[in-house]
Amino acid sequence: MRSYLLRRLGQAVLTLAGVSLLVFVILRVIPGDPAKMLLPEGAPQSAVDALNRELGLREPIWVQYGIFLRSVARGDFGQSFQYGAPALRVVVERAPATIQLALAAMVLTVLVGMSIGVLAAVRRGTGYDYAGTVLTVIGQSLPNFWLGIMLILLFGVTRRWLPTSGFQGWSYLILPSLTLAAFPTALVARLTRSSLLEILGQEYIRTGRAKGLGERAVIWRHALRNAMIPLLTVLGLQIGTLLGGAVITESIFAWPGMGKLVVDAIFFRDFPVVQTVLIISATIFVVINLLIDLLYTVLDPRIRYG
Amino acid sequence: MPSWTLTRRRFLLAGGAALSSSMARTGVARAQGRRGEIIAGLSERMLTLDPANHYSISATSVLRHVYDPLLDVTNDDRLVPALAESWRPLNNTTWRFTLRKGASFHDGSPFTADSVVFTLKRVRDNSKLIKSFVYQDIDEVQKDGDYAVTVTTKRPFGSLPAHLTMLGMLPPSAGAGEEAFFQKPVGTGPFRFVSWTHGDRVELAANARYWKPGVPRVEKLTVRFIPELSTRAAALRAGEIHVIDRVWPDMVQTLKATPGVKVLDTPALEAQRWHFQLARETVKDPRVRKAVSLAINRDVIIKDLLLGYARPVVSPIPPGLIGHTNLGQKPYDPEKARQLLKEAGQSNLTLDFVLMKDLYPKQLEIAQAVAAMLGEIGVKVNIRNLEIATAREQRTAGNYDLFYSGWAHMPHDPDWYFGQWFTKAGAEKLTRFSDPRVEQLIAEGRVPDPRVRQQKYAEIERILWDEEPEIWPYYSVAIYAISDKLSNFEARRDYYVLLHEVGIA
Amino acid sequence: MSRLRTYPMAAVGGLILGAVVLASAGAPLLAPADPIKPSFGKRLQPPRVFGGASPYLLGTDNLGRDILARLLYGGRVSLALATSAVMLAGAVGVAAGLAAGVLGGRVDDAIMRVADVQLAFPVIMLAIAIVAVVGTSRAALVSVLALSGWVLYARTVRASVLTIRQLDYVEAARTLGASDLRVVLLHILPNTLAPVLVIGSSQFATMVLLESGLSFLGLGVQPPQPSWGAMLAEGRDYLSNAWWLATVPGIAISLVVLGADLLDPRLRQ
Repeated sequence: MRSYLLRRLGQAVLTLAGVSLLVFVILRVIPGDPAKMLLPEGAPQSAVDALNRELGLREPIWVQYGIFLRSVARGDFGQSFQYGAPALRVVVERAPATIQLALAAMVLTVLVGMSIGVLAAVRRGTGYDYAGTVLTVIGQSLPNFWLGIMLILLFGVTRRWLPTSGFQGWSYLILPSLTLAAFPTALVARLTRSSLLEILGQEYIRTGRAKGLGERAVIWRHALRNAMIPLLTVLGLQIGTLLGGAVITESIFAWPGMGKLVVDAIFFRDFPVVQTVLIISATIFVVINLLIDLLYTVLDPRIRYG
Repeated sequence: MPSWTLTRRRFLLAGGAALSSSMARTGVARAQGRRGEIIAGLSERMLTLDPANHYSISATSVLRHVYDPLLDVTNDDRLVPALAESWRPLNNTTWRFTLRKGASFHDGSPFTADSVVFTLKRVRDNSKLIKSFVYQDIDEVQKDGDYAVTVTTKRPFGSLPAHLTMLGMLPPSAGAGEEAFFQKPVGTGPFRFVSWTHGDRVELAANARYWKPGVPRVEKLTVRFIPELSTRAAALRAGEIHVIDRVWPDMVQTLKATPGVKVLDTPALEAQRWHFQLARETVKDPRVRKAVSLAINRDVIIKDLLLGYARPVVSPIPPGLIGHTNLGQKPYDPEKARQLLKEAGQSNLTLDFVLMKDLYPKQLEIAQAVAAMLGEIGVKVNIRNLEIATAREQRTAGNYDLFYSGWAHMPHDPDWYFGQWFTKAGAEKLTRFSDPRVEQLIAEGRVPDPRVRQQKYAEIERILWDEEPEIWPYYSVAIYAISDKLSNFEARRDYYVLLHEVGIA
Repeated sequence: MSRLRTYPMAAVGGLILGAVVLASAGAPLLAPADPIKPSFGKRLQPPRVFGGASPYLLGTDNLGRDILARLLYGGRVSLALATSAVMLAGAVGVAAGLAAGVLGGRVDDAIMRVADVQLAFPVIMLAIAIVAVVGTSRAALVSVLALSGWVLYARTVRASVLTIRQLDYVEAARTLGASDLRVVLLHILPNTLAPVLVIGSSQFATMVLLESGLSFLGLGVQPPQPSWGAMLAEGRDYLSNAWWLATVPGIAISLVVLGADLLDPRLRQ
């Protein structure tokens, strides 16, 4: 185990280095000029060139990357082109809102999704099952923005029960997390149902039943445990997506999160912010995927790596 | 030479201001009547607190509350005193500003000529500042005592006062440590800066010692940035905010039907302009351009797509600005268009129509309508809706036939528009426009004398109207929606949302 | 065939999918009007059921075009694109997951770390980069879409493989001398498929939306050509006053998801 962890740690460093290099190069190779984005449409080319030089973008790429690495080692991720403030600060400012929304959506996804999935599996073929199917189909085909805007209109405007946008308190979390959780909840519900049904039919469970264990105990202990594996996989990827990819929900709810920050930064060609967010994203995914790989071995001790 | 001096009324007001600010100092004028908080929802997020480092309408709007410029511009396009009591050109390359006495920064330090000298020299000399390139023509800035400044320019700079309406005055102390200063900036404006959360909101508090009496009328002002129109409108309808900008015509009905909400609109100082790539074989020939212009039914765009929230164009420069002249509306005549195309030998034309994604309201809808209209005369249009950075690169590279754009005149002066788009140097990497007559007229129009400028600009517009290097489909209309609790809100033609004289019930 | 009789739900699913595909394929015959030509005086007509003008069964959009016509023509584009994207993502993902799980060790590490690197990049950025390199062909679009989805299959399949490969009957097959590939294809793969099918059908909707979200890069259909994703995007600005613009394509997508949903795991019992 220890050597496995060390190996993974080493790979983590490589992954981060890879991401930083890749994003650095991609940003400078794709069309689009940060100085042009900062200056108004009617600015002369001389002003554009001067600004690009000021931003350090006229140096050869490897020189720029060297400077970048050296600053990152000092904790300096550069100055955001858009805001003129340290990129790291601009990104980290968005962390609380992002994390809280992601957590809220995760909690909903796990609780509601698994409940629906379990219910559908246990009561297979009945009205509950079909109701579950309807709900999951809706959850998976509803566009994010449709749900978000409808929720705002219903609960924020027609009935003023909830705030329409922004993040000034826990009640502001409700509508955005519902919007964000709809798709993953539906996916989790279907996966739970299908995994449970699959495992319930397997040999060793039948053996378990024959030993006289109550049906309930069988389901909860064996099947759920093993259904968790594909579920955990999906949830792990979901967290990452929720943290960096919730751009549509964040736009609709004027939510000060990292998803919108990085997409705006990409369109604006704010290189330091994009670089910073991607490095942080990569770190998060590396950590999550490692944790999940470890959790697999906990859930199913027969699993071995290498 | 005409001069913009204080009228008697303004002199009395200034005197009154001095009196009431001294009363405030003795703590008597609590009866200023300030109460309440206004929350605004703007569509465009602010990117900086430095008035010299942006060319954004939204930022100009917000920062105007914290910093005063030397002059302001009213909604009917008159320049009026702010921190400058009067100003006049001494000759074609010299401007003299007489400054207001008794104004002070939020940290207590007095506003004097040092501030003006510092602010102007800074924006000229620091090439990293976005506004720097505009002020390169400034040669010398000299103070004349504590309350007068003389500015000499390298060549005539008639639009200087207009540009100065967008440049907030900074205290000289900002030079000591700019980064620290802009964490907690001070200006002389009606509101003090409290906090700024990037991309989310700005919080301001009333400046009790503002030099203008009765201003501001509220204690607290919060500006939220809500790019999504449905959300912005929903927040207003739910009573969470009090004013929103950039409303689309289709949203007006819903807003009007909401109790407690008022919708205000006004013709904007903005002309939509679709410019041709003048070096391209397809549209080089003026007959082709004229044909395209004749095939576009502007009436349908204005009435059906924009629901009447647009005005027909009679000149490239919108009314209210110096240089506006009436050249008559462009006709809709698809028959003539087809004829012209045949004459020009271009009966099987394909045009690339490039748009910058999400920039103008309903642009994709309008572009599709135009594509259909041009289809009627046998022209195939490829709509290329690109993200802004790529679109601008394509424009520089010349990869387009028609480019969807607009020009909101900020500041309220056409000199920049002409200088950038219709001089050879300016247009080289953009439209490839080049006409020595126009170039000459633009240079001649830079003098401070408004009568001369009007004449030169009118001449330029006649030439442009004839050559049609651009299509000007309509003047925009700015639509705002406010809570009926607000009083004295003015729907501005320049898209600024100014709230210092607005009160809340 | 007998399976289908025993499982009517699967038959229903198949019917729904079939109907959608046939209707889209038959768009030139079935569409009541031109899906592209605008009709400025007839903007935003509600669907006939809700009191709209009579030729418009599903109403008109912001340029007065018949929504039913756009739905049918748009279906051809969206069904083809989204389905190929899901299949490509699935094929690549499953293969990668199998390789990682079965071969383990360095191969597993390499594949998973490549996935980690890619996951850090927002789809928009990958798309911009790909367009800069290979341009805006249909193949480029499908590749971008597939790129956004393969990791989920890979990690899910890998997890299943890790569970299964230690199982007795797999060991047994190995000892009996079956070649590795045979073991993989006959014993391991079928058992990893259940979650894969669930993911696949759920990704369809995502792909439709993503396709329209990338059109600004020149990928996919350009306006005024219809696609379900484009219709959704256009409808977004009109939700408060013309809800049918976005709702109609949304319902079409749900039908496809429903059809795929009903088809899947029940067949396997």
